[in-house]
Amino acid sequence: MSEESRMDRIRGEFSQAWALFLKDVRTYYLTPPMVMWGLALPLFMFFSFSVRRGLAPQTGIARLLALTTFFTASSAGSVIFPLERRARTYDRLMAAPMALITILLSRSSVGAFFAVGISLLSLLTGWALFGASVAQPALLTVAVILSAYSFSALGILVASGSAQSPGQIMMPSTLLRWPLLFISGIFVPLDRMGVWARGVSYLSPLTYAQDLLNHAVLGTGVQSIVLDVAVLALLLILFLGGASKLQRRSRKLGY
Amino acid sequence: MESEKAIEVSGLAKTYKKFLAVDHVDFDVRRGEIFGFLGPNGAGKTTTVRMLTTLLEPTEGSIRINGYDVSRQAYHAKRQFGVVPEESNVYTELSAQANLLFTGRLYRMPRGERERRTTELLKLFGLEEKQDVKAQFFSKGMRRRLTIAMAMMHRPAILFLDEATSGLDVQSARTIRDQVRQLSENGPTVFLTTHQIEEANQLCDRVAIIDHGKIAVIDTPEHLKAVFRSVQSVEVAFDRKDPGHRDALGMISGVSTVVKHGDKYRLYSDDLSAVLPEVMDYAHAKKLRIITLNTMGPSLEDVFLQVTGRQIGTVRHDPADKSLGRGSGKGRKGGNR
Ligand SMILES: Nc1ncnc2c1ncn2[C@@H]1O[C@H](COP(=O)(O)OP(=O)(O)OP(=O)(O)O)[C@@H](O)[C@H]1O
Ligand SMILES: [Mg+2]
Repeated sequence: MSEESRMDRIRGEFSQAWALFLKDVRTYYLTPPMVMWGLALPLFMFFSFSVRRGLAPQTGIARLLALTTFFTASSAGSVIFPLERRARTYDRLMAAPMALITILLSRSSVGAFFAVGISLLSLLTGWALFGASVAQPALLTVAVILSAYSFSALGILVASGSAQSPGQIMMPSTLLRWPLLFISGIFVPLDRMGVWARGVSYLSPLTYAQDLLNHAVLGTGVQSIVLDVAVLALLLILFLGGASKLQRRSRKLGY
Repeated sequence: MESEKAIEVSGLAKTYKKFLAVDHVDFDVRRGEIFGFLGPNGAGKTTTVRMLTTLLEPTEGSIRINGYDVSRQAYHAKRQFGVVPEESNVYTELSAQANLLFTGRLYRMPRGERERRTTELLKLFGLEEKQDVKAQFFSKGMRRRLTIAMAMMHRPAILFLDEATSGLDVQSARTIRDQVRQLSENGPTVFLTTHQIEEANQLCDRVAIIDHGKIAVIDTPEHLKAVFRSVQSVEVAFDRKDPGHRDALGMISGVSTVVKHGDKYRLYSDDLSAVLPEVMDYAHAKKLRIITLNTMGPSLEDVFLQVTGRQIGTVRHDPADKSLGRGSGKGRKGGNR
């Protein structure tokens, strides 16, 4: 048997990740649970908490982007993993010659790109209807993609336990996400919070995403861009690492 | 790294919580052979297959697949095999063709080969006409065939089949058995599990009999046939109860053991055709009416007891100790009660 070179091996992992990504996009995008949790929910949140208060278009856009990256990206993992575990098709991926991290990265991309797509739509709508403009388009691209990946990984982490139906995951996942939403600086800007509230808000990943998006859309933020980016990147690594640990554990327990 | 042995297993054990599902088994499977794991529900067959295919981490022991250690060289080991799990697990949202093409990509097959192999397998498994239909609209048998086709996609050196024919009607089961036999002619080594003695006999070059996580014996079907024969039985019940029946029936020539189950007597013998008329004669002579008369094929539980040297009919397993978890739905239908 000829030994593959390291390069071939990596190229192979990429092509597997890509194949898996395409399959997931084809199978899961626009399925009822994805639309419900990933599209309807963030829009509902946005309209119920923001529009009525006569928000400036740009602030509105920054907030909508934070909401969509958060809810849309984190939904994908929570929908796909339990469905595939129940159908036992997840075993196919586990038995295929590919690294676990390849599967996790490919899956993160599924949620992330769903969120990026929705964000792009929100942005275009905001621009067309209200003439909202963006201060730093390049930074916005980075901000949306990075937040989308972090939150997508969060969704995967939550779904890496033992549950076998999206219903079983959605409860804990929602219980986790709503507090993170309400303690974050998304509805009340950080600089208008009291000391305590602000301290608590730093516990939510959403705070950093919102601040980064504020930098990109409005041109001003409360913290440094570097801090926001560093925290989001670190969280991405932690979430993926945690998910990989949980999945290894379930290979021991046998579900 | 080439090895004489397709599968080498030593000291393999799996504990779920505190329950020992697979109890330190050792066996080798030679290249090219069809090797069967024969055992009743809950014996530990699926647990073993899942460990061999890296889906479950063993508590103890080592596994080599074509020479590759599954825990340390998982990537290489995984390239050697295809798996057909107990439950068919096709992507129901994809068509038969898309399922196969996707599998080809997961195994890094080049595009041309992927397409050629897909066409070939759709034909081989009689799915061409349905190739564009989503698998969710497939019958159970079609899903089974597609699952097997997917496992064969990358031309694996070893094919794992966990209860390939369970839940299928006689005709579909036969088709699948024929296909497995043909495939393995010059194809992969096959490791299969089954709880049907007949299936093991027909397909396998060697059979391991497993129960309670332990392998009792590994031998060729030819050699095992003698064992299977010795645990066939006639089951009979009369209209009148009499403690004397048992001894009288035991006197019939060719009967090795008589076991009483409720109001029925079970007579073990390796020549049932000789025993049956004698039972009738006994009923006649005593003016008894026969209420039940059945011939029973060998039950796996009995085979297991026989090869482990315990006496047939004396040891009954407490079903409660094994009825947790996935194996439970089917229960233990040894036919012994
Ligand atoms: N994830 C699990 N957690 C706890 N116990 C389990 C688990 N999986 C299997 N078991 C137990 O391990 C034992 C062996 O199960 P296994 O599925 O390997 O049996 P099997 O031989 O495949 O049976 P069947 O013919 O019913 O498929 C059973 O008693 C089962 O209840
Ligand atoms: Mg089984």
